[in-house]
Amino acid sequence: MQAFLRRLLGVVLVLLGVNLLVFIVLRIIPGSPASVLLGEHTSEEAVKRLTESMELDKPFAVQFFTYLKNAARGDLGQSYYMKQPVLNLILDAFPNTLKLTLLSAAFAWIFGIMAGIISAMYPGKFPDNLFRGISLLGISVPVFMVALSLQYLMYFKLSLLPLMYNGSFMSMVLPAVALGWNSAGSIARLTRLGLMEQAEAPYLDTARAKGLTSRTALLTHGLRNAIIPVVTMMALQLSSMLSGAVITESIFGISGLGKLALTAVQTRDMPLLMGTVLFSAFVISLGNIIADLLNTVLDPRLRSRAEAEA
Amino acid sequence: MKKTFFKKMSVTASALAATLLVASCGNSPAGNGTETAKDTTAPTTAPTTASTGDSTAGSDASSGEGDAYLNIALNSDIVSMDVHKTTNDYLVPMNVFDTLFTTVKNPDGSTTLVNSLADDYSISEDGLTYSITLKDGIVFSDGTPLTADDVKFTFERILTLPESAQTDYAIAIDGAQDMLDGKASELRGITVIDDTHLTITLAEPFAVFLAQLAAPSTSIMSRSITTNAGDDFGVVPEKTLGTGPYVVTSWDKGVGLTFEYNPHYWGTEPSVKKVTAKVMDSSSMDMAFQKGDLDILDCMMLDSAIVDSVYKTSYSDKIVSVDRLGMNYLMLNEDSEPLNDVNVRKAIQMAIDRKSILDSIYEGDGNLEDGIYPTGCLGYSKDNQGWLSYDPEGAKKLLADSGYPDGFEMEISLDSGNNDASKNTVQVIAQNLNDVGIKADVKTYDHASWLDLRNSGKMNSFLALWILDYNDPDNIIYTFFGSKSNSAIRSCNYSDEATIARVAAARAIVDPVERITEYGNLEKKLIQDDAAWVPLFSLKHLYVVSDRVESFTPHWAGWSDIYFTGVELK
Repeated sequence: MQAFLRRLLGVVLVLLGVNLLVFIVLRIIPGSPASVLLGEHTSEEAVKRLTESMELDKPFAVQFFTYLKNAARGDLGQSYYMKQPVLNLILDAFPNTLKLTLLSAAFAWIFGIMAGIISAMYPGKFPDNLFRGISLLGISVPVFMVALSLQYLMYFKLSLLPLMYNGSFMSMVLPAVALGWNSAGSIARLTRLGLMEQAEAPYLDTARAKGLTSRTALLTHGLRNAIIPVVTMMALQLSSMLSGAVITESIFGISGLGKLALTAVQTRDMPLLMGTVLFSAFVISLGNIIADLLNTVLDPRLRSRAEAEA
Repeated sequence: MKKTFFKKMSVTASALAATLLVASCGNSPAGNGTETAKDTTAPTTAPTTASTGDSTAGSDASSGEGDAYLNIALNSDIVSMDVHKTTNDYLVPMNVFDTLFTTVKNPDGSTTLVNSLADDYSISEDGLTYSITLKDGIVFSDGTPLTADDVKFTFERILTLPESAQTDYAIAIDGAQDMLDGKASELRGITVIDDTHLTITLAEPFAVFLAQLAAPSTSIMSRSITTNAGDDFGVVPEKTLGTGPYVVTSWDKGVGLTFEYNPHYWGTEPSVKKVTAKVMDSSSMDMAFQKGDLDILDCMMLDSAIVDSVYKTSYSDKIVSVDRLGMNYLMLNEDSEPLNDVNVRKAIQMAIDRKSILDSIYEGDGNLEDGIYPTGCLGYSKDNQGWLSYDPEGAKKLLADSGYPDGFEMEISLDSGNNDASKNTVQVIAQNLNDVGIKADVKTYDHASWLDLRNSGKMNSFLALWILDYNDPDNIIYTFFGSKSNSAIRSCNYSDEATIARVAAARAIVDPVERITEYGNLEKKLIQDDAAWVPLFSLKHLYVVSDRVESFTPHWAGWSDIYFTGVELK
């Protein structure tokens, strides 16, 4: 319990740090929200007036502490660009990101683990080489390339799936595969590696001595141990996907967190960017805690250590 | 807030549940079962003329009743639907709002101002007072009648909104400066006589005022609708209502907008009843158009190589082009060494091979320009053309005479949002400059940084484009050279105050011949004598239309934003 509380305190500190960092970065990089909002054809006076009315001319410390004070009360402010409460915008966008994340995680996990298992069962043979090749492609091809190739193949050439997200399940398939592609590759490689290491372990000799076939021994006993680092990776991937798949959401026109964050950066929308980053940091921290908890459940050694600490 | 929070969380939870269900079944029909909460509900006044699906989304392109839908693509989302708050985009004001007058392009390329909301007008002999009669019976899309008071409100709003981007369009009216300075609560220059009659009095004669009243920047808004909407105006579609032919039915930020025909519209019923505008990257646009999921494709948004290899060949009979009333120029900042030396600037003018850029990058689709006013702009004079030619040897000599025989270093700033043709243009310009010894370094900035640096007046040099807002030399010359601050915010920092004063004074010349003559003289002084910028070219704006489109009339100046009423469907 104490350990859990310590973790929570850590989360709060991380959030505060992230906040300060974003605030500082936004002050350092050039670009003012007033200029972006008014556009290229405007006048110097208009920019000056808007800067004053947005209180962007106030000192850095004043702006930061005002933000912090409001954030502590649950008020993340209003987006400069969208003129709506940041919290509402985030909660509007989050379901889309959640759908995308869950679908792509489902794809990555199922495909990745299966590919990893098949590879490990036939080390050095054709299925192993095939899936290793695919997973290498998975981790090395950038997401936009995967997205564009999928659009070209599934929409343009085969007319099977929609080009852009339109709210339907089918239109979420391409984004999910594009986003999950990279994770699937990593999971496949990690699963394969884990299983091959376990295959050498003495306890599997025992299992085989008791009459299990190598394959059954590996899949029933070996997999359980091999999967532990995979679960950690899955949880981390999930939380980073949740925090905003910027490129995927932009290419497929999904109004999720990533797109919101991108808009915020492009328009220098401080409250919106702070809000999305804060939310993402929170989700990632939560993901890490869940991954640890899951590991404790899966790995008895960690469980006993946790109990000893408690 | 609490209630909203829980409502949102329940939406989140249900979305999660639905996703899991869908993922586990894997054969769910393609429906909107997992639609999320958005501020994009249909307006209360939404007409139900057509009910198309999300057709740009792909192969599920659907048609509405009578197939009167139009699918277009945007390369970026709009900033605001409220034109008083941004100069960034005009798609909504052009289609949802109206102006008192409007500009139409004649077959010979000239333009004419015609009445829009105005039924009639007269100008007093001294050029100060405009008496305007509004058309009878015009209503906003919720049925609220348009009155002369709304016109007054519109200009007062432009002057009093803290985030107003369009004050230049109201500043000529008598009393405008007082309102802008917060010294007056009412605009004394506008007198409402009755519901359809008003007079607008200017502080001094201003020949282009009528043309300004035709720019979407002066879209007329309703006092009651706008006031009741408060901060939601321009953000929430159902509260952003105009008198124009369409209403916005949804705006999904970062994703796109949908429009539907406004049955209360006073003008001719348009052919297009529903429009879906989706934000897409250029490769998606290309694929969507070729699959028949887009009806109008803006070639400016595509890679020029694709335009040349695909559209100019396979779709040549589907290309619609308009001569753009826009000037591509290279700005030179007089505030930086050695660009403060007029001979150095002249050397740069001579060092750039504009013709080869136009021919190789733009396939010759445009005109070389030697002045400030692009071809087609009122005040464009052949007398000021043909003097600038590519002369690298002459440039080297000028540089040597100015004390820079070995050249110097300079930076050309590039907005990363520019299309690839502009990026290539900058690279060629840099190469041209290198050829005469000037080490030009092209530096790319994201749009916000680029704009900030330009607005600060410290950008060394940059490539940009100015497309006319209204057809008058004033629109371009005053913007850059009308005041010190106008010149500074565009990192021009033109230093001759006497000429700046002449540009400002030219606004008040009433006699049209005298006015155009003065603008011609000013153009010569600024570009030929002082080399304030490097004029490059004006281009054709190309669009490709689908088989569903019978005819398409682009914006008269060749903006990317289009009037949907200019589209006739088959």
